[in-house]
Amino acid sequence: MDILIYGTINSVALALYALGFAMVYGVSRLPNFAHGALYVLSGFITWTMLNSLGLPYIVSIVLTLIITGIIGAMIYQFVLIRVRGMEISEIIASYAIGLAILEGLRWGGFRGVNYTLPAFIAGSTNIAGISVDYQRLLVVAIGAAVVAVLWLFTHYTRIGLALRGMAQDERAAMMLGIDSDLMAVVAMGFGSMLAALAAILLLPLGNVVVEAGYNVLILAIAVCIVGGLGSWMGAVLAAFLIGFAQILTVVYLGAQYQMVVAIFAIILTLILKPSGIFGQQKELEERV
Amino acid sequence: MKTARIKMLVIFVAAVLMMLLPVQTVQAAKPIVLGLPLSTAFLYGWAAERGVKLAVEEINAKGGVDVGGEKRPLAVEVIDTRDLEPGVPVSDALLAVEKLILDKKADFILGGPVRSEAALAAMSLLSKYKKVSILTTGVLTPAYHAQVAKNYDKFKYCFRIHGEAQNLVGEMFANFGELKKKYGFNNLFIIAQDVSHARGAAEVMESVAKKKGWNVTGVEIYPTGATDFSMGLLKAKKTKSEIINIWMDMPESAILLKQWYEMKLPALPFGSTLAAAEQPSFWKATDGQGEYTLCNVVNAGNAPSEATPWTMKFYNAYAKRWGVEPEGLGSSSSYMAVYVLRDAIESAGSLDSDKVVTALEKTDIMGVYGRLRFDPKSHQVIPALDPKDGAVGSILQWQNGKRVVVYPKSIATGEIKLPPWMKK
Repeated sequence: MDILIYGTINSVALALYALGFAMVYGVSRLPNFAHGALYVLSGFITWTMLNSLGLPYIVSIVLTLIITGIIGAMIYQFVLIRVRGMEISEIIASYAIGLAILEGLRWGGFRGVNYTLPAFIAGSTNIAGISVDYQRLLVVAIGAAVVAVLWLFTHYTRIGLALRGMAQDERAAMMLGIDSDLMAVVAMGFGSMLAALAAILLLPLGNVVVEAGYNVLILAIAVCIVGGLGSWMGAVLAAFLIGFAQILTVVYLGAQYQMVVAIFAIILTLILKPSGIFGQQKELEERV
Repeated sequence: MKTARIKMLVIFVAAVLMMLLPVQTVQAAKPIVLGLPLSTAFLYGWAAERGVKLAVEEINAKGGVDVGGEKRPLAVEVIDTRDLEPGVPVSDALLAVEKLILDKKADFILGGPVRSEAALAAMSLLSKYKKVSILTTGVLTPAYHAQVAKNYDKFKYCFRIHGEAQNLVGEMFANFGELKKKYGFNNLFIIAQDVSHARGAAEVMESVAKKKGWNVTGVEIYPTGATDFSMGLLKAKKTKSEIINIWMDMPESAILLKQWYEMKLPALPFGSTLAAAEQPSFWKATDGQGEYTLCNVVNAGNAPSEATPWTMKFYNAYAKRWGVEPEGLGSSSSYMAVYVLRDAIESAGSLDSDKVVTALEKTDIMGVYGRLRFDPKSHQVIPALDPKDGAVGSILQWQNGKRVVVYPKSIATGEIKLPPWMKK
């Protein structure tokens, strides 16, 4: 039972880490290596609003989502647009931005255990004899809601349909009048907001530390590669595969191997099915 | 009248010159450069930097260090080794040490590298450049002073002025024994970070615990940067563990303690190098959920106590200078390392490494955390339970928002308390 409960929590956390990354790549084929940095940055923005500016928690959260979304959109509009289509340059540029954000935070004195966000609901409960805190249950509930809203958004709204159109066939979408760059800006904005949402939900479980940015990026990449780059549903499925594999590893092998699971999953996927579970990229080459 | 005015002017100028002379001598003298390779984004790094700088400021304010009759000021050069960060290779710390020696012209190396793996690797480098080094923070591996003892001629430049893992293990078991006697505890669960000193300490703890009749219910090793400890804690709960011995210096250890509190786990968290819980800000960071956490801060002076007359003097000076109390491992030892080095240089009358090594081996002063002497063979500071005999450790427990020293008895200001859900 503990494996089921904590496996689910871990999987939803992984899905939250990865959804923003998957969305940006799915729409604009842009690997946003600043994703982990945006996650950490949004944690510090919320903390600053809450503690230094004294704003109410809910206001801080809403403002953080908006600010992070704008930062993401600006990163595309002012930097990444110039290297669009050049894959290596996209990776280098976005990684450099991420590095600048994380190192800038460290340089700015954001270090140590002092930066914590309050849990939405304090306390814990027992499920079948297993103690679980309310914040983790909330993560699962909101995580599921986010996936549902994302599905509805991409199936029933004009912007969502345009994003899907771009994701499926950029040239055809452009022929139908969809502005490719505008959609990429929107995707980066939404993707960054999803990184911020993950941070706001998950960081109250611990503390906001700069180093988390690198871990989040690795986990997001692992989930997206296993699920298939660009596939949102693939990312969710892969999050559950890796999430449960990690928990099983902790239980039966040892906690020290849990990070290896994500790396091993990347290697295994690249060997067996480079396009991932639901990925379409390179699928033809694989079949040939 | 004119002659009198000239005389007055001459006397005035002479007086001004005499007043300026000693200051000018200190300022003009070439500074003695202390190179600090530290992981500055982490407690053990910044605490060491602050400790060293405080001592340097105090010594410079008194005219500097007397080197063979010449007063020379101390200067500090810090390079961030980042060796406490996950994924940073040891080679980065070695580059930092080499840069301090070759580029920054450091006369002595103090502080780090902070991670045991990096410090062990740096030993050959220090030997190559014949640079005297005093480790003051982080590194706990017994392998460090064992290397010096094993190959003295090569590694004689390496000293360590803070406690090491074997002392810490001994101090832990002294407390476990008390808890066993008082509450009948017998089940011990060990959680460690996946780094050299912590893994090594966990192995030693397991082995010693079994020899002492403890039932070791499990050993969990977590990677650096782990953010979820639920499964390990559940294992501790299932196995009816009564003490959770934690060896973790990463800030994420605060998450572990929060989870422990949320689960109301009936096992006392007893840590060593538990950086998160050492800091005064821990209480606020965990909203008080870290109450009852015990941690070994390695040396007295890193938490408030009256170990020696110098302890609270240092404690208050540190708090005044940095706006925060000494926060944990590295604070008092780094401060004392500068004073010990000053005495050695003055005794040697030179900066020559071999002469300073000989002088350091003769160190015998009453410092912030007791009588400070180095073992002449291994260059490890000599530990004791009483500050009159040697360097004393310090174990604190968070009680009602305060860091209360509970061990050793000679300096304790309180006793270990159990959380309400553990009281029988």
